[in-house]
Amino acid sequence: MRFDPPDAYWKKDVALFFSRRFALVLKMLYPIAIIVPVAASGMPAKYAAAVIGIVAIMAGTFGAGETLTSDLNNGILARVALTPLSPRKLVFQILAVNVVLDFIQLSPALLIVYVLNPAPLAWVLAATFSVFATLVTANSIGVFIANFTSSPADVLLYATAILFPLIYVSGFFRNQDPNGVLTLLRDFVPFAYMNDALKTVFGLATEATPLTIILYPTILCAVLVFAVCLTASHLLSPRF
Amino acid sequence: MHLTTGLRGGRYNSHAMRSNTENTTPALEAMKISRLYRSSGRGVSDVSISVAPGEVFGLLGPNGSGKSTLLRILSTAIAPDSGGFRVCGVDGLTEKRKVRARMGLMVDRPTHYDDLTGRANAYFFARAYGMEEAKAEGTLAELFDYFDLAEYADDKVKTYSYGMGKKLALVEAMAHGPEVLLLDEPSLGLDYTSQLAYQRRIRDLADEGVAILLASNQVDEVESLCDRAAFLHRGEVVAEGTPEDLISRVEGVRRIVATLRNPVEYGSLTEVGGVQRVVPERRDLILHCEERPGIVADVVAGIVRSGGDIVNLSVQRPNLEDVFVKLTGEALRDEV
Repeated sequence: MRFDPPDAYWKKDVALFFSRRFALVLKMLYPIAIIVPVAASGMPAKYAAAVIGIVAIMAGTFGAGETLTSDLNNGILARVALTPLSPRKLVFQILAVNVVLDFIQLSPALLIVYVLNPAPLAWVLAATFSVFATLVTANSIGVFIANFTSSPADVLLYATAILFPLIYVSGFFRNQDPNGVLTLLRDFVPFAYMNDALKTVFGLATEATPLTIILYPTILCAVLVFAVCLTASHLLSPRF
Repeated sequence: MHLTTGLRGGRYNSHAMRSNTENTTPALEAMKISRLYRSSGRGVSDVSISVAPGEVFGLLGPNGSGKSTLLRILSTAIAPDSGGFRVCGVDGLTEKRKVRARMGLMVDRPTHYDDLTGRANAYFFARAYGMEEAKAEGTLAELFDYFDLAEYADDKVKTYSYGMGKKLALVEAMAHGPEVLLLDEPSLGLDYTSQLAYQRRIRDLADEGVAILLASNQVDEVESLCDRAAFLHRGEVVAEGTPEDLISRVEGVRRIVATLRNPVEYGSLTEVGGVQRVVPERRDLILHCEERPGIVADVVAGIVRSGGDIVNLSVQRPNLEDVFVKLTGEALRDEV
């Protein structure tokens, strides 16, 4: 399989990802630089899990949102949308490739976390999957935001407005023992499952099981991805 | 660059072209298209045009006249408020992807993936239009060579000049063998040799049956290249026909073009006997005059009286620009 010259949208993104070498080194190093000291510090599990969660959410949301906004503003994405490619498949490719590339960025840091904090294999797999599901969610939010933004600064503003309540509900810092409607809301945010899985990896017992960590976010992410792909026609229309 | 055969102007084959295409289904047919931008109130209104296979159709009009809006609609980028269009018989509003597959498109401000090479950009688009790998590579190699880009094909697009970017956009528009080609200001920014190459390619494609809709401000280009042309003025088609037909509307008019060293108050020139209209364009004053003995001398005297310092003067036959001025009373190109 060859990526350059690319014969598909996702291959174009892969080719671009690996073509900027200095940026690639930075992208691979910054999650390690943030996550590894946290994992090695012995800080309370809930905070260690929260820091890793925040890094994953930010990487996903801002990565997709800013790249898309930039491509939409300079017109190249609108031009691609005028080829016979299916707009929904195009948005799906944008989403999928961003998620996988973000996951590649986070994987070395996650691996080090698992080495420093050995956990049962089932929990390692569940935590890894939950990070992936978080990236799917965060990128979906980023793509959704790009429907309304005209600059990277807008992405920051909109993302903050959307992510703060979600992070709150997920119980990263506050709302760790939710009651009533907050419990119900927490069940609908994939970030919460990652938080539970990472807490368990760091040695803090939760009520979650590896099965729930995998099952519910899968359903939630499928719905999110479907919904975001439905915005394709609006997202890929020219900006004036 | 292959320039071994002479450029064949559309004006010289228009009759043959029409006889070939008169009875065929239009490759592109726009029917009463209207689209107004809410923010500016500008756009297009009730525009109907038809381009036959093998025909080069020019859209002329000043900035803001609606050329790009019409092309955006016909390229399926935006939907009209009312009206519709068909491409090779396929409805452009309900079957967008089928229409897109039949079309080649060059937008007015082409953009590319700057961190990819020119070849990678063009290959990506060729494959997006469904070309097979080997065919895409072969066709692109030929087009890169034709447009003198082969040497730069493996350079990143961010190192390209504006003109090179335009040529790359032409390659991307033509590579997949479209049945209809929409080009927005295609020759703007191209050097002279590239313009000749591009024009020859357009004629070759037309000879192969491709319908070409060309939006341009370049009067010479439209006159030499197009079989028919339409003037757009404030979103409406104000005239349509072959370049010869259109120019015949200003029969008996001569244009005097005076290049001045300094701008002058030119209002008094309209009082010179036989001067019908005075249009400033950049450093030039363009005067539409009746054909009568002594009028050139009278115009020169009038300019000198107005304080003008003439650095160049020519008397020309009328062109499409003059037709537009006669029709609308406005200049085709922006005044500077």
